[in-house]
Amino acid sequence: MNSQVQSRLLKWAAFFLFLQSMILTLAPAVRERSWDVDYRLSHWIGFLVWALFTYLTHRSLVKFLPDHDPYIFPAAALLSGWGLLTIWRLDESFGARQTVWLAISMTALMLAVRYLKELTFLKNYKYIFLTGGLLITALTLVFGSNPLGVGPRLWLGLGGVYFQPSEPLKILLVIYLAAYLSDRVNIRLSSIPLLIPTLVVTGLALLLLLVQRDLGTASIFIFIFTIFLFIATGKRRILIATGAFLLAALLIGYFLVDIIHVRVVGWLNPWDDPTGNSYQIIQSLLAVANGATLGRGLGIGSPLLVPVAISDFIFSAIAEETGLIGTLGLISLIWLILARGLITALRAPGNFRRYLAAGVVTYLGVQSLLIIGGNLRLLPLTGVTLPFVSYGGSSLLTSFFALYLLLSISNTEEEEPAPLQSLRPYTILAGIFALGFAACAVTGAWWALFRSNDLLTRTDNARRAIADRFVPRGEILDNSNLPINITAGESGDFIREYLYPDLAPITGYTHPVYGQAGLEASLDNYLRGLQGNPSSLILWNQLIYGTPPSGLDVRLSIDMELQRIADGLLGDHSGAIILMNAETGEILVMASHPTYDPNKLDEEGDLLSQDEDSPLLNRATQGLYPIGNVIQPLIQAQFGEELPSESSLLISYEEFGFFRSPQITMPVASSPLTNDLADMRVSPLQVCLAAAALSNQGVMPAPRIAIAVNTLEQGWVVLPALDEPREVIQAQAAEEAARTFVQEGKAYWSHAGRGTISKTTVTWLVAGTPPDWRGAPLALVVALEENNVPLAERIGDKLFTAILEQ
Amino acid sequence: MSGTVVLALRFLTALALYGFLGWVLVFLYREIQRQGSILVNRRIPGISLMVRAPGGKGTMRYFNQAEITIGRDPGCDIPLADDTASARHAHLTYHHNQWWLEDLNSTNGTRLNTLKITTPTVITSGDEIQCGGSDLSVSLSENVVIEPTQRLGKRDQHKPNE
Repeated sequence: MNSQVQSRLLKWAAFFLFLQSMILTLAPAVRERSWDVDYRLSHWIGFLVWALFTYLTHRSLVKFLPDHDPYIFPAAALLSGWGLLTIWRLDESFGARQTVWLAISMTALMLAVRYLKELTFLKNYKYIFLTGGLLITALTLVFGSNPLGVGPRLWLGLGGVYFQPSEPLKILLVIYLAAYLSDRVNIRLSSIPLLIPTLVVTGLALLLLLVQRDLGTASIFIFIFTIFLFIATGKRRILIATGAFLLAALLIGYFLVDIIHVRVVGWLNPWDDPTGNSYQIIQSLLAVANGATLGRGLGIGSPLLVPVAISDFIFSAIAEETGLIGTLGLISLIWLILARGLITALRAPGNFRRYLAAGVVTYLGVQSLLIIGGNLRLLPLTGVTLPFVSYGGSSLLTSFFALYLLLSISNTEEEEPAPLQSLRPYTILAGIFALGFAACAVTGAWWALFRSNDLLTRTDNARRAIADRFVPRGEILDNSNLPINITAGESGDFIREYLYPDLAPITGYTHPVYGQAGLEASLDNYLRGLQGNPSSLILWNQLIYGTPPSGLDVRLSIDMELQRIADGLLGDHSGAIILMNAETGEILVMASHPTYDPNKLDEEGDLLSQDEDSPLLNRATQGLYPIGNVIQPLIQAQFGEELPSESSLLISYEEFGFFRSPQITMPVASSPLTNDLADMRVSPLQVCLAAAALSNQGVMPAPRIAIAVNTLEQGWVVLPALDEPREVIQAQAAEEAARTFVQEGKAYWSHAGRGTISKTTVTWLVAGTPPDWRGAPLALVVALEENNVPLAERIGDKLFTAILEQ
Repeated sequence: MSGTVVLALRFLTALALYGFLGWVLVFLYREIQRQGSILVNRRIPGISLMVRAPGGKGTMRYFNQAEITIGRDPGCDIPLADDTASARHAHLTYHHNQWWLEDLNSTNGTRLNTLKITTPTVITSGDEIQCGGSDLSVSLSENVVIEPTQRLGKRDQHKPNE
């Protein structure tokens, strides 16, 4: 009967791992959305080794321990196989090593089952085991090293193989305490024979670990010790006393021990320091959020973004790729092992074996709770491994030794359970674990379902940048569909190419490190396919790829031919040019100099943001310049020849929209409402909109730069202006003023002026088409960060000449 | 396309994982049933004892409980009016399909068929037990003993065979 149960469960475990391996094999095809990829195959070695050794271990368990508990081994085998495949997925070389460790651990289990049927030897040599364990741990103080080169030196290394003595030390402590306490019946709390040795031993272990700065193992020691005392005495006040002690230790540690301080702060306020001490935990939560319900599928998520994903954060790696469904299953499996372990403890025929089983359950349960809770920000982070699942030879061997103890103790059908003094410690222990894991499940669901969106849109979520490498981003085109910014390369290596770098301050960039700027940022939702696509398509892509669908192309109103001329005319001078269709508000030319080359962000990105010339700034919409007398033509249209009073001037400025940001899908700036007109600053875009009123019968148009988006279903769809046109001057007055400013021999009206505030001088030119113009009415603004009226006038002249020749 | 195939596989893995857990529930349910039927079928065979205090007339007592205490204390299942017996002198327990006699550290000891016992000892019909000056003669009922530890591998053996 037992062997049938175990065999049936193992078949399901094998089925599960087989499917996971299949998904991992196909993962590259899904990521790159093509069948022509390099499929992942190496992890099948891990799967086959797992299957072979699990089968052999199953056979030997059935043969040598015929009455063992049939649930514990399948659950442990499934967990270790799951961990193994996840490690293969994260890092193939670590996967290969873990495969070797799994084979060693299962072989050790088979040998132990065959040759060590009696556990009494553990009881007899308890002091030898414990001193040995403590000595080896003490050795790490002197010879300790860390396989990664940095971090706590908890390992002993020999010829490339690393061993962490604090792992087996936990189980040795369990054995020692079980042996010691089972020898003494009717233990009273105050009895000296009880307290002295246990306190000395536990204190020694703690000292060793606090010096080693291994917070996780230290807290596990305290929990194991407490629960042992509780089980042996049945006194609930031990739990309360330990709770109070831990709280006090946490408070003292918070102020005195830096590692505890860092962990507690990182736990309470992770959002304050997302790139420093809280980096790990936030990346872990992002992974959980990205997993959502079903998970991305093994090999399709990005769990490698979380540091030490193979050991400390393997739970969040599993959460990302199997989702809430997977984590609930994982928690149930751990809970199954613990519950069967407690039943084993209750059925044990003697106190030593009973305490041993309960101690092993405590060790497995506390360690799982600490790391799962830590990954989910339910508890402060403690760097311990997840038993059976995490990478690590010492951890896996220790887990399998614990497994051997449980299986061996459970093999007692012939003997009757020893009398039990009180059931309460066991029910309370089971209750603590049940509550703990239920809390983990609820917290996992909270991050994966309810906070998922908030987390994934954080700027430190590198998954967006990764998705950009696999999903083509929409192109940015000019008004005759000539490409400006395009996506180049193959899926998996998509990069953004900027064909006309001079436009960089306007169109901006999108970059995995430096983020986004300009139109690439403001139009991101269209370019990324999150807007303009049917929501069913977005959902479907999210479900199968975890990415948005292909991005949509956006057409700008920019006229590349005129833009090139304008950029040529501005040359090395700092300043901005805007040429606008005065009727529709479409921006035909927008130049901002100095400019930069976004194709070279990788090399120059850091320098650019510190450049004193601010090449990243779009001077045309964000540069605020002293207004000076630039809008003289408008004032003349409004007030005639006489000089207006300051207050009426202020009202006009407000009407021209100088105190509010123009409504357009790009970053803009405006000066705050001020009464000090001598200190008044405006952006070239604001001036251009006001100037357009003169060429457009007194009506200020609403500015537009992104004019259409190419959707899948309806083709090009017009993007409407964000604002309404407004009449600011009477049509008659506008026409008259425009005529007044047409200069001798010119086909357009124009006015050059200067603005100066303290040492800043700007040369302005406003110009526009006269009322009798036969094409679309135009408005032009040139702003130069120098005193150079001739240049401004030359730019205006050349541009209008070019327009006339078009 | 590959995405759709893998999506189906992802649903299947969820199914496999919860298939495992589902079978665990089924097996646990069956275990409860099996455990219950074992306990229901577990009967303690009765034991009859002819108790003779020194100088007294013999009385026949019948028990079918798992533990029977013998001693001078009136609270014992078999109280002995005998000054040479201790307050809690000995007890009879039923486990592992046997009745066991165990001396409870009595002053004058317990004898089984005149031999003094120091460890729990199996008794059978016709045995004579001496506690102090009192005699008890054992006769076990001829009830069918149902093995509590028998393997119930096959389905048809689940039913109580009374």
